[in-house]
Amino acid sequence: MEVKVFAEKLFAAGREMGFDAMEAYVASRNLFRVGVFKSEIDSYTLAQSRGLSFRGLINGRMGYSFTENLSADSVALLVDDARANAAVIDSEDPEEIFGGSPEATYADICSFSPALEQVLAAEKITWVKEVEQKAYGLDVRVSTVQVSLGNSSGETMLMNTKGLNLAHQGNFADGYVAAVVKEGEDTKSAYAFFSSRDFSRFDPATLAKEAVEEAISLLGAASIESGQYPVLLRHDVAGEFLATFASSFSAEAVQKGLSLLKDKQGEQIMSSNITIIDDPHMPERPNSAPFDAEGVATAAKEVVLAGRLMTLLHNLKTAKKDGVNSTGNAYKMAFNAPVTVAPTNLYIQPGKRDYADLVAHIEHGLIIIAVQGTHSGANPVSGDFSLSAYGYLVRGGQVVRPVNQVTIAGNFFKMLSDVQEVGNDLHFKMGSIAAPSLLIGSLAVSGK
Amino acid sequence: MLAKPLLEDILLAGLSTGGDFAEVFVEDRFSTILSMIGGKVDSGVSGRDYGIGVRILKGTNYVYAYTNDYSRDNLIKVAKEAAAAISPETISRNITLSFMKDEPLLINPIRIYPHEIVKQDKVSLMARAYHAAKEYDPVISQVMVRYFDEDQKVQIANSLGLYVEDQRVRTRTAITAIASKGPEKQSGTYAPGAHMGFEFYDNIKIEDYAQEAARIATTMIHAPYAPSGRIPVIIDNEFGGVIFHEACGHSLEATSVAKKTSVFADKLGEKIASSVVSAVDDGTIPNAWGSLNVDDEGHVSQRNLLIEAGVLKGYMVDLYNGRRMNVPATGNSRRQSYKFAPTSRMTNTFILPGSHTREEIIASTEYGLFARYMGGGSVNPATGEFNFAVNEGYMVRNGKLAEPVRGATLIGQGSDVLLKIDMVADNLACGQGMCGSISGSLPADVGQPTIRVSEMIVGGRKGDK
Repeated sequence: MEVKVFAEKLFAAGREMGFDAMEAYVASRNLFRVGVFKSEIDSYTLAQSRGLSFRGLINGRMGYSFTENLSADSVALLVDDARANAAVIDSEDPEEIFGGSPEATYADICSFSPALEQVLAAEKITWVKEVEQKAYGLDVRVSTVQVSLGNSSGETMLMNTKGLNLAHQGNFADGYVAAVVKEGEDTKSAYAFFSSRDFSRFDPATLAKEAVEEAISLLGAASIESGQYPVLLRHDVAGEFLATFASSFSAEAVQKGLSLLKDKQGEQIMSSNITIIDDPHMPERPNSAPFDAEGVATAAKEVVLAGRLMTLLHNLKTAKKDGVNSTGNAYKMAFNAPVTVAPTNLYIQPGKRDYADLVAHIEHGLIIIAVQGTHSGANPVSGDFSLSAYGYLVRGGQVVRPVNQVTIAGNFFKMLSDVQEVGNDLHFKMGSIAAPSLLIGSLAVSGK
Repeated sequence: MLAKPLLEDILLAGLSTGGDFAEVFVEDRFSTILSMIGGKVDSGVSGRDYGIGVRILKGTNYVYAYTNDYSRDNLIKVAKEAAAAISPETISRNITLSFMKDEPLLINPIRIYPHEIVKQDKVSLMARAYHAAKEYDPVISQVMVRYFDEDQKVQIANSLGLYVEDQRVRTRTAITAIASKGPEKQSGTYAPGAHMGFEFYDNIKIEDYAQEAARIATTMIHAPYAPSGRIPVIIDNEFGGVIFHEACGHSLEATSVAKKTSVFADKLGEKIASSVVSAVDDGTIPNAWGSLNVDDEGHVSQRNLLIEAGVLKGYMVDLYNGRRMNVPATGNSRRQSYKFAPTSRMTNTFILPGSHTREEIIASTEYGLFARYMGGGSVNPATGEFNFAVNEGYMVRNGKLAEPVRGATLIGQGSDVLLKIDMVADNLACGQGMCGSISGSLPADVGQPTIRVSEMIVGGRKGDK
């Protein structure tokens, strides 16, 4: 059934059941992905999907339900389910179906490239095979290469009984090159990630080289003596740290007692060389959108300015509770998830020094190029982390050898209060949270 | 669910360009998630996922397509597009499919389906868990309870004539207790679950799990940081089995073995673990969290011996990777939903009981770390390097448990740590986890008796020894 017709029927059924205000949130997506292994297509995905999430206020409580089956018999199921879910809610925080931000505040963001839709499947297959071939050709020690390339397009629609009617369309392409290299019994692997709306930016030779060279550079890695070391977190690792602890900036986490940033607004929480920005209008990023998951107009904001906490991120519910305005950070993890709070495109503002310059700065320390297990070895509530890591040992400003089988441990906020230098190498590669390389004064490293 | 003639037409459209295997997977799933914080339900979501996945193989070429537009015209179109992707030619063939309906052995009988229980009863259960955790100790500052159930109906048909219907019902409640002391916070989590209906909560006492979550948080808020270095580590039973899951299990999945990107590829019959280690993946344990009646390719679930007395005996294999490896599938092919192509995954994976007791193991350890509860972890299958977090740890001194320690991470190399397991106790138990890999996030049990690893790198924050 056509979405708008379905929504009309849904709202009519909901009114009859006693809902005061209702919203239909619809996400549709088309997806293509191809992967190659030894010149054969070993994965090829074509997909189309559409889901509708319903929520509504009944007796002052918000009930949620969803379906991927937009047939007439789903209407009754949706309103019944939402009513039953609303009935068990006993949180007293008021929720609302939003009437809309001032028209002019909805930014005009173009997230759709017609050119990307014109790239033929055959071109993408050729591209993937070329990357694979180039990677194998770079070094005899390359044992396996996996290349994956995909693109997706989609539309998000939000309609409610308060007259709000919003839609945003987008498309995007991304993928990775994974290289495994072997020398005797020593095996190492590395990835090169890429993403853009412009397919012509993906250069096979550059990406193959990035993955293979990094994997080769790790051969012969060994652990080091445990101790305190100055540590350079390469940009991707610094970004992963920010992503892991980004929930600290959510007002929802603060209100629920799940963040250390309670009552910290206006205070110095990090080094003065750290500024963190959430910008939902970056033209290149797939997360950019004129409205958030509740239909509130989005806007860029400084979350941390020169180390001081400027604002938490809010949706309508958390804003009302704190007596402030929503920052346009309402978020749904998937079309069918409840509304929470999350950043859109969050990044640490780059500094002036390039990566090589930062390395040259290290007398005796480590460069960390990957951490593992952030889902288990890092605690977003306490800020504590202890993570498996690898990278390189640096002496006298020179990379001496690769290092693995070590952990780095500390506390996220203490670590960001000990930032000696901020690099100029901010790159969004995967995901929507990024940072430039950061030189940390001292971290606990466990090894031998 | 789709009618058999339509399934047949989809399969035939899928084979129209010379593919040698076609499969249709239909999923209709109802699920409910309720979350409670501070004793109050703050969100409840329920709904229906519905979609169809079509898979076509030609040798080792592979195409997967999915949609949730279930009209006949669209399904045939999707199958034809997938067929066109596997080969540009059109082959006219005369194929007749005769579905043999398999009646899978029902190893996971369900007594009380989620829809038969009103939401208020689910909320009452959550409230019991909340109170048990909150009232455990004054340092418990916050408690979160998350209730989950799902009822997934699937229909699987393939061009070899297989036709299976299955219904999977799962239930789980996760309790997280947070202890606070000044600006510090520590958390403890317990999340029991089963391939079972609401009768699960007649078999267990939810308060016990809630109190255990609160006890972990309470213990850890008073604990100093763990030391760093290479020391003996005793890993307790139940969720401790995550070590085997990460260090070895993922590397025995055909997904990485078939492409020889696993450290254990081509090692069948070789000694890969210490001789006190035997391990299985068993999808047939009645009503266990990771159990299946049939896997997502329609194969009947199996118990697969992986390691026997240290010798590698088998892998976990799906149909597609089995083609590269030239071996049959083992009932391990799984996917999160129709949005994922299936591949080899673990079900319930655990180390078998040994001859020692937990007490003997502790008593024979002069100095080391005792990991009472493990958190999650991850592994790089290419290098075998793994890591996981210790949620509740204690130092062991002179054969006795000493002070609790927080913040420890264990790292190592799968092939290395398996050889260093020198003691295995007799107290096998399993814990429930969600395992993430290329075919999505899946329920899986991990398990083991208490084991000792003679030496592991413990990453803590305290530099002493």
